[in-house]
Amino acid sequence: MSEDKNVKMEESADLNEGRREFLKYVCTSSAAALVVAPESSGAVVEAANSADADVTVAEFFQGHFVLMSDEEKKQAIARLEKRYTAKYAKKTTVSDVAAPDGVLFGYALDMSKCIGCRRCVHACVEENNQSREGSVIQWIQVMKIPKGNISFSADELEKGYPEKSKFGDYGVQVGGNAYHPAGLSTEGAQSYYQDETVPDKDFFYLPVQCQQCEKPPCVKACPVRATFRDHAGVVLIDYNWCIGCRMCQLACPYQARRFNWGEPNLPAEDMNPKTHYFGNRPRMRGVMEKCTFCVQRTREGRSPACLEACPVGARKFGNLLDPESDVRKVLATKRVFRFKEEFGTYPKFFYYIG
Amino acid sequence: MKKAWSFAKDTSLYAVKGGSIFYAWILFLFFFILVGSYTSYRQFTEGLILTGATDQITLEMFFANFVFTAHVAAAAVLVVAPGYFYHRKDMKELAVIGEIVAMVFVATGITFILYHMGRPDRLLHMVPGIGFMNFPNSMLVYDTIVLNVYLYLNLFGVLYILYNKYVGTFDAKHLARWFTPIVYLAIAWGPLIHIVTAFVLASNARMESWATAVLPFGFLSMAGASGPSLIVVIFLLARKYSKLEVTDSVIDLLTTIIAWSLGLLMLVFAAEMFSVLYSSTEHADSLKYNMFGRNGLNMYVPWFWGIIGTLIGCFIALLFPRIRRSYDFWLPIVCFLVFFGVLVEKPMVLVFPAFSPSPLGEYTEYHVTVIEFFNVLFVWAMAFLWLTLIVKGAIGILTGEVRYHKSLSHTVEQS
Amino acid sequence: MIYLHKPSKIVVFALSSFLIAGMGAYKIANAAGENTGTQTAKPVTDCYESREDYTTVSRTENAVPEYGFPSIKCSKTTGAVLWYGDPFEGTVPMGEMPEIKDATHGNFANAVVKPREPHLMYFNMGPDGCKTCHDGKTVPYPKDKKPRLLNMHQDIVANSLELQHGRGAVWCLDCHSATNRNKLINRRGGEISFNQPQRICGECHGEKYIDWRAGVHGKRVGAWTSHEGKRRWWVCTECHNPHTVQKNRFNPVRPEPAPPLPRGMKNANHERNGAE
Repeated sequence: MSEDKNVKMEESADLNEGRREFLKYVCTSSAAALVVAPESSGAVVEAANSADADVTVAEFFQGHFVLMSDEEKKQAIARLEKRYTAKYAKKTTVSDVAAPDGVLFGYALDMSKCIGCRRCVHACVEENNQSREGSVIQWIQVMKIPKGNISFSADELEKGYPEKSKFGDYGVQVGGNAYHPAGLSTEGAQSYYQDETVPDKDFFYLPVQCQQCEKPPCVKACPVRATFRDHAGVVLIDYNWCIGCRMCQLACPYQARRFNWGEPNLPAEDMNPKTHYFGNRPRMRGVMEKCTFCVQRTREGRSPACLEACPVGARKFGNLLDPESDVRKVLATKRVFRFKEEFGTYPKFFYYIG
Repeated sequence: MKKAWSFAKDTSLYAVKGGSIFYAWILFLFFFILVGSYTSYRQFTEGLILTGATDQITLEMFFANFVFTAHVAAAAVLVVAPGYFYHRKDMKELAVIGEIVAMVFVATGITFILYHMGRPDRLLHMVPGIGFMNFPNSMLVYDTIVLNVYLYLNLFGVLYILYNKYVGTFDAKHLARWFTPIVYLAIAWGPLIHIVTAFVLASNARMESWATAVLPFGFLSMAGASGPSLIVVIFLLARKYSKLEVTDSVIDLLTTIIAWSLGLLMLVFAAEMFSVLYSSTEHADSLKYNMFGRNGLNMYVPWFWGIIGTLIGCFIALLFPRIRRSYDFWLPIVCFLVFFGVLVEKPMVLVFPAFSPSPLGEYTEYHVTVIEFFNVLFVWAMAFLWLTLIVKGAIGILTGEVRYHKSLSHTVEQS
Repeated sequence: MIYLHKPSKIVVFALSSFLIAGMGAYKIANAAGENTGTQTAKPVTDCYESREDYTTVSRTENAVPEYGFPSIKCSKTTGAVLWYGDPFEGTVPMGEMPEIKDATHGNFANAVVKPREPHLMYFNMGPDGCKTCHDGKTVPYPKDKKPRLLNMHQDIVANSLELQHGRGAVWCLDCHSATNRNKLINRRGGEISFNQPQRICGECHGEKYIDWRAGVHGKRVGAWTSHEGKRRWWVCTECHNPHTVQKNRFNPVRPEPAPPLPRGMKNANHERNGAE
C-alpha cells in the first residue's frame, strides 16, 4: 500500500501546487524562519561569508525533489552543479535522468564464487563518493562465514554427553561434536577479517548491500518520505529532504543503510564528477545513504561499479522483466535464495549457487 | 489581559525566589547548562560523530533517555487519575503537579529527539503543508503527533487550572463542562504516548529483542515505577519546604503504585526471559549477550545484573511498611534508586544490547562520549530547571501565596 | 536580594571554567591532529584484473575527457583494478563464435574482449611472439603430443610431467599448436586465437561453456542491457590459469583492507573466537 503511494509520488507532482506556493512564500518572506535550529542559522551565517549564500539558502528551502516542477528541478540541479564544481575544483554534472520504463532492476550474486576480496566494497567507494577517512562509509559489507567443517574430531564424540548426577543420568545433552555454527547463519560471521590471502578454504563469503526490497521496511519507517522506491524498483533517498532520524536504519533487516555521522570527508582528487541527484552526488552531514545500484550508471545503461570490480564474475545485474537478461537466466537455471527471506521484504537481490 | 499579565509576572517572580538550598540547586543545574551549551554547540556544528553512535548501534543516549522521559510523562496520569476518577480529595488538588511533570517531561523527550536527529534544521519537513508526514505508515509520525498533543493538552490543563486558581475563579467541584473531557482525554493520552513509543521500537522486525508484545506492558510498568518515584520525591520536598499540604495518604498511594508496578515489571521481565531463553533461538541472542556477555565483550553484564538487583531490591523493600513510612530517609532513597535504576535500564538493557547481534551478526559495545554525556546532562538540567521553577510557581498558587488580589510587593515580602 | 552560598558558588565557577578550558584544549588538540596528515599518494598505474599472473593493465589519465576519468583506478594496497572509467579501453571485438541453437545461445554482436595476443611477446622477443623461437629451426617442432620433461617455461608449468590440468589426461600440445605457437588448437586441429580460449575450453567443459555463453558464468562489464549496448566479456583464461587450474580454480588474492571497527571498539577478537 505504502509502496504504491510512493511510486505515485513521482507522478503526482502537480498536485502539490499549494505546498510549493507556500514554500515560495516562506522563501521570499522572511529570514525569521532561519532561527529554526541553531545548526541551520549557523550554516546560513557561514555561507553568507562565502559567495554562494543564496545557493545555500535556496537549498535549505528546497522541497522534495520528486515533487518539484521541471523548472524547480532544473534550478536545484544547477545550484548543486555550481556548488560541487566550485568545491571540488572539477566540472561536476548532476543528472536527474529518470529510471527507464519497462525495467525492474535485479541483482544476483554467486555465493559459491565470491572469494571475499572486498574489491566491490572499495569500487563502490570510488564510484559513489562516500566519505573516506574519519567517518568512513562503505555500502557493502562482506561477511566471512564458517563452512562448518572446521572442528569435527573423533575425540569430541562424547563431549557434553549427560553425566551421572544425583538426579539420575537422564539430563539434557548440551554440546557435542557438531555444536558449532555452520551454513548460512550470521552466527559466527566475521566482517573485519584481515587475511593474507582469500579465499580461506574453511569459510565462504557473503557480501551484503541494499537488497532493494519490493516491500522495503525503511520506506515504511521514514517519517518524511525522504526514501522511496522508484518505478525501476530501486529504493532511493533525497539527501536534501532526509531529516536524519535514522528510523530507516533501525528498520532495515540487512544493515544496509549508512549514516553520515560527521561531515563527509571526500578528497577532491578522488571525487567522481559524474553524479546523479539520488545517487552519488556528495552528501552532507546528518543524512542517510545506501546502495542505489549505482543509479547514475544503471539508469544510463551501464552496470554497477561493484559488478565491474568483481574479479570472479560472481555478480550479475539486469532487468528482471527481460527473460534474456543475465539475472533472469540465473533465476531460471540456478538455485536461488533471498537473504533473510523470513522478514518478508522480497528483495530484488538474489544469492545463488552457481 | 491585565490579569494574565500579572499571573505570568507574579508566578515567575515567586518561582525564582527561594532559600539557599534552592539557589544551590539552581546553580548546580546551571553548571551543567553552561557546560552543556558548549557541548551542544559542538554537536550541532560537527554532527553526531561526537556521540558514540555507529551504524551498528544507531540509537544513542538521547533516544534511550527519550524513552525514559516518555515513562515519566505517561506516569504522571497516576497522580491525576485518582483525583478525577476516584474523587479522592487529597489528590485532586495535587493533580496539577502531575500534569506539570507530564508537560515538562514530554517537552524534554521532544528535546532529546531533536538531539537525536541528524538534521534538526529540517524539522519543518515533517510539518504538513511545508513538508509531509508519512502517514499512516511511519510509527515516528504517530509518536510525533501523540507527544505534541499530550504536551499541549497538559500545557493547557496546567495553565487553565493555575490561572483560575490565581484569579480565584476555580471551583474543583464545578469544573467547566468542557474542561472535564480534556482532563479525561489527557489521562487516557498518557498511556497512549507510551504505547506508541513502545511501538516505535517494536515495529522494527529486525530488532529481535524488541519485536515482542510485552514491550508496551514492560514500558507501562516501568512508567508506573519511575514516574511516581519522582513525584513522591517532589511531594516530600514540597511538604518539607513549602506550605503545600500533602497528606500521608497521598504518599502511601503513590508508594503502593510504585511497589506493584515493580511487581508487574518483575512478571514482564520473567515472562520475556522465559519465553526467549527456554527455546533459546536467535531471539535470545541479545538477551544472552546482555546477561552473560560474549567472547570477551561483557560491558553490559554488570549493568544488567545491577539494575535487575536494584529493582528487585526496591520491590522487596517497598513491601515493608517501615520503609514505606520512613518519609525522611528510606523512602526517598528507594524512590531515587527506582528512578535511577529505570533511567539506566534504558540505555544499558533496553537500547544498546538490543543491537547485538546486528543483522549481520556483529557484536558491538557502545562507548558513550564525553560530549554526548554532557549533552544528556544538559537536557536533564534544563528539564529539572523548568520542573523546579514551574512546580514552585504552582505551589505558590496552590498554597494561596500567589493571588490576584495581592499586590506584587506583598508576595515578595511574604516569601 | 539574592542570597548565595559563597563557597558553593566558587566551587561551581572553578569547576565549570576548568571543564570549559579542558574542552577547549581538547578541541584545539583535535584540530591540530586534523591538519597534519593526508598527503595524496601517487595513483597506482600497473594493475591486474582477475589473475595476478595475467596481462598487466595500466592506467591512462584522462581516458574519458568529458569527466576527466582515468581508464582505471587501482587499489593502493593490492594493485587490483577497482574501478573502470572506460571499461572498453584496448578491447577488440570478440570475433566469430560458433552458433549453438538452443535457449541459452549467447549474444555476441556487441561483445568485446581484451586481446591476449599482443602480450604473447615472451621475453619481448619481437613481433613474431612465440614464433621467434618456436620456428621449427631454433626449437624443432615436437614429433608427438606425448608428455615429456621440459627445460623451459618452468615459470608457467613447474614440472611439465605434472601439469595441473585434466588429471593427466591432457598435456601442453593438446591446446597449444605444435607448429604455430602463436595459436591454440582445438581437438580437430583447427587453429584458435589466444583471444578466444573459450572455443577450446568449451570442448571439454561444455556445461560451463554454455553457462558462460548465456551470461550466467563469468564476468562481463559495460552495459547491463541484454541486446543493445557494448559489453566486455572476460574469457576463461582471464580468471583461470589453465596450467594450474587443478590446484586452484581461482588463484588466491590479497583482500582489500577491512572496514574500520565501529567507533569505540578496540579490536575484532570477539569475532574470531566466535566459532568456539
